[in-house]
Amino acid sequence: MKTPKWNKQLLFAPYLYISPYFILFFFFSLYPILYSFYISLTDWNGSGEKHIIGFDNYVQLFGDKTFWLSLWNSSLIFLMYVPLMLFLGLIFASILNSNWMVGKGFFRMALFVPNFVSVVAVSFVFILLLNTQDGLVNSILRSIGLIDNPIPWLESPWWARISVAIMVLYRWLGYNMLLLLTGLQNISKDLYEAAYVDGATKIKSFFYITIPLVKKMLLFCTVLSTIGTFSLFTEPFILTQGGPLNSTMTPVLMLYTESFQNFNFGYASSIAVCFFILMMVISLLQMRIFDDKE
Amino acid sequence: MKRKSLLYVLITCLMFSLLATACSSDNKQNESTAPAKGDEKVKLVVWIWETAKDGLDLNMEAFKAKYPNVEVEFQTMKSTDLYSKYLITSNTGDVVPDIITVESTNLSQIVQIDSLLDITSRVEPYKDKMSSYKWEDATKDDKVYAMPWDSGPVVMFYRNDLFAQAGLPTDPEEVAQKIQTWDDYYEAAKLVKEKTGAMMYGDSKTNSSNRMFESMMWQRGLWYFDAEGNVAVDSPEIKESADFLIKMQNEGLVFDARANSDQWGNGIRDGKIATVVGGSWHDAIIENQYSPADKGKWSVTMMPKWSKDDKYTGANQGGANLAINKNSKHPEEAWNFIEFMLGSEDSQVQMMEKAGLFPAMLVNNDASLEEKSAYFNDQAIRKVYAQSLANTYPLAYTSDFPMANKLMTDVWAKVFLNNDSSEKALQEMAAELRSKTKRN
Repeated sequence: MKTPKWNKQLLFAPYLYISPYFILFFFFSLYPILYSFYISLTDWNGSGEKHIIGFDNYVQLFGDKTFWLSLWNSSLIFLMYVPLMLFLGLIFASILNSNWMVGKGFFRMALFVPNFVSVVAVSFVFILLLNTQDGLVNSILRSIGLIDNPIPWLESPWWARISVAIMVLYRWLGYNMLLLLTGLQNISKDLYEAAYVDGATKIKSFFYITIPLVKKMLLFCTVLSTIGTFSLFTEPFILTQGGPLNSTMTPVLMLYTESFQNFNFGYASSIAVCFFILMMVISLLQMRIFDDKE
Repeated sequence: MKRKSLLYVLITCLMFSLLATACSSDNKQNESTAPAKGDEKVKLVVWIWETAKDGLDLNMEAFKAKYPNVEVEFQTMKSTDLYSKYLITSNTGDVVPDIITVESTNLSQIVQIDSLLDITSRVEPYKDKMSSYKWEDATKDDKVYAMPWDSGPVVMFYRNDLFAQAGLPTDPEEVAQKIQTWDDYYEAAKLVKEKTGAMMYGDSKTNSSNRMFESMMWQRGLWYFDAEGNVAVDSPEIKESADFLIKMQNEGLVFDARANSDQWGNGIRDGKIATVVGGSWHDAIIENQYSPADKGKWSVTMMPKWSKDDKYTGANQGGANLAINKNSKHPEEAWNFIEFMLGSEDSQVQMMEKAGLFPAMLVNNDASLEEKSAYFNDQAIRKVYAQSLANTYPLAYTSDFPMANKLMTDVWAKVFLNNDSSEKALQEMAAELRSKTKRN
């Protein structure tokens, strides 16, 4: 027997249970986003008066070569490491998923460790390794006779991008491998057995069974990596400060430079808003890809 | 990776929300500005970086003896972190920290955000006691917001052994005579390279800190901005100085490493770098950090000038200041602290002798200037610093210096990586500075 009071509670309770999320969302996401949009319409040095200047910041931003360069850099860095990372990740995952592999737990752990070691510490180690004058990498390459002149790892635009890509690859390979591993574990073993009975080699089953069946997971990793690459901050900030010639500048690094180094908060906010829209588009794309009706 | 990116977005949002709350809390600051009375205990929080703290530590005992009621807590952090952290703090009306340390390179920028306590009347007695150029960055609309601490008179440190091998004189007086101008310096560089294989100085082609170049500009009274505050990097004189350094680089006379980086320090340790033209504080870095085994091998003399009839020979590099947070609850005690540390000759000399901080205060007649340094060939190195300081062009860093400095690094990169002409690169930099800073 439902009393009216009970009824009311039933109506009210679900909203109460989900309200913490919305309250937090309002204070920590929605309000800041709207406020950031408001700041992006002003000229503000972080203190004192805000002067409303309309869309001037956006006009300046769209004409700013550095901004377009930062998007271009992110795309280049993405191309440099994502295909390689997914390929390696898939191979490692397959090996770890196979029956004959020993010490799986150890290798899973070992590959995942770079992901939770402090990125700042890792960056400093990379600086030591990639040092042009007396870094370990150049010393080794020179002593085995691969190169005559030291490679300017952090001092020329292309090498600097490659260095950042190598570091991101090192950090995220294990994470992506784990994601792919979960994808692999969902594939039924029967398929491989059937293929084996039909006389398919291991390599053939890898290309005709494994890859098609983890395609979704591969796409998922790609989308995550896209967002990750555009919001890269710590690696280029410590390795190269976004240089040389802004070749490792990313949108988030640019946002930081404009706000906390140049104190141009209005301009920085316009970057934040554009970045937000870009992320939203990518996320919508992601949702469309996974909107699976099959 | 998604988690990571969400984290950044969240952090960004948080930062802006912090700034948002800032605007509503302006009324906090008037709550309590009354000085503490009698034996009431007062705690001052000072934001500072490690090497600067070492200087203040030397005088802490004397300070405690004079002000037993004041407790001082140092919170150390990197200088760059300090500025961004302080920006947020001052915006939220926080009373902590009471005192912040600010490098001269960033002082004007911090003064512009109107978060420091006006100390114009308090510094009045010290106006003439300090190097005059130190006040400029601390001043906005005729009000003074920071007390000068140390300065970095630029001198030339050089390796006696390399100079001797190259057939150059080694006595500081003779070196100063032989290398009077930057052209003499260039000729000496060629000799050093030819006879010893060492490079004349260290600086990165693509990641320069620009300190060498800035010292050259400073001694000629040139800067990224002119006296009216207009952008001046496209002036012919500045191009001239830039071209000189480009020539040195192109002829392979420069060790390719950013000044004051570890690579650069290794070059110094290995005897690959013959001179360091830089602020006086380099003495401690060379002696303690990079090259402790080379006692007696280094000497100090004046830096070269552009042309023989230039009036000024010195320049300034770096230097720091102390300022009070506008929202501090203990401005009186904070000022007492600053005055004790920076306004007294005793404490300044102490910091100069033991922490290598050459005071902005003019201590020309102090006996410690005559003291000889065992590491630097038994030379009275501080006399050289004082001489340089007395001959330094009165110039300020100004508020957009951090941005200009960053853009200048790109100028070199354009010249050395893209083979752009220095003229084009400097003009592009000027255009970007004008559009970003809204200067002329």
